[in-house]
Amino acid sequence: MNETELKELIDVELISLDEPPAEKEAVIEHLLDLAVEAGRVSDREQALADLLAREEESTTGVGMGIGIPHAKTAGVAEPTLAFTRSSEGVDFGAMDDEPATLFFMILVPEASSDDHLQILSSLSRSLVHEETREKLHAAETSERVQEIIIAEVA
Amino acid sequence: MPERVVEVVPEEGLHARPASLFVETANEYDAEVSVGPEGTADDDLVSASSMLAVTGLGVAGGEKLRIVAEGADAAAALDALEELLSTPEDEL
Repeated sequence: MNETELKELIDVELISLDEPPAEKEAVIEHLLDLAVEAGRVSDREQALADLLAREEESTTGVGMGIGIPHAKTAGVAEPTLAFTRSSEGVDFGAMDDEPATLFFMILVPEASSDDHLQILSSLSRSLVHEETREKLHAAETSERVQEIIIAEVA
Repeated sequence: MPERVVEVVPEEGLHARPASLFVETANEYDAEVSVGPEGTADDDLVSASSMLAVTGLGVAGGEKLRIVAEGADAAAALDALEELLSTPEDEL
């Protein structure tokens, strides 16, 4: 993805720095609503069903305080990445039992190839580094978060 | 150190359920297991016991993995991981 596509993927409207709900499914809905409010979701119900079906298969709480709910869904027309973070931490069912504090939701259209898996793996690679996680916690504006994510995913 | 190159049979690759079973299995043994695509240098292998690290590999079905294990149960860990990766997803 080039920079223009990345800016479109993670528009500042899709980033929230307010404390999200304290429970996993509510966090997923909260992220989805960021995308809904940004006009990115044509079918909220379908997108939510696809996200939850993926969680059913295995949790996207991948440890180190990260949750990355994701799905390929007919509910969006464009690849969409939403972000929020928590200072309290949310139980995302991770194997390392660490509460999640950084959340990324990836939605890609049904017709796309495996774009979501590519976004997922490059995000994961960068989030393994403590420095990246700290930068995302320290960021004071949505614009700064967008900048960090673009730099890390590119 | 015992190591092995194994093809990833589940079609969707090392994602979702196959990935979480892989990490769970790696954690079950008294061994430090590290993993990367075939040909990865020692220093670039990642921990097989971290879901985040394994997700970051982005391994697709049909690709080959290099798995290295160290510790008392290294051989048993490699056997279990090889068996898992050789099982089609619908039989997992």
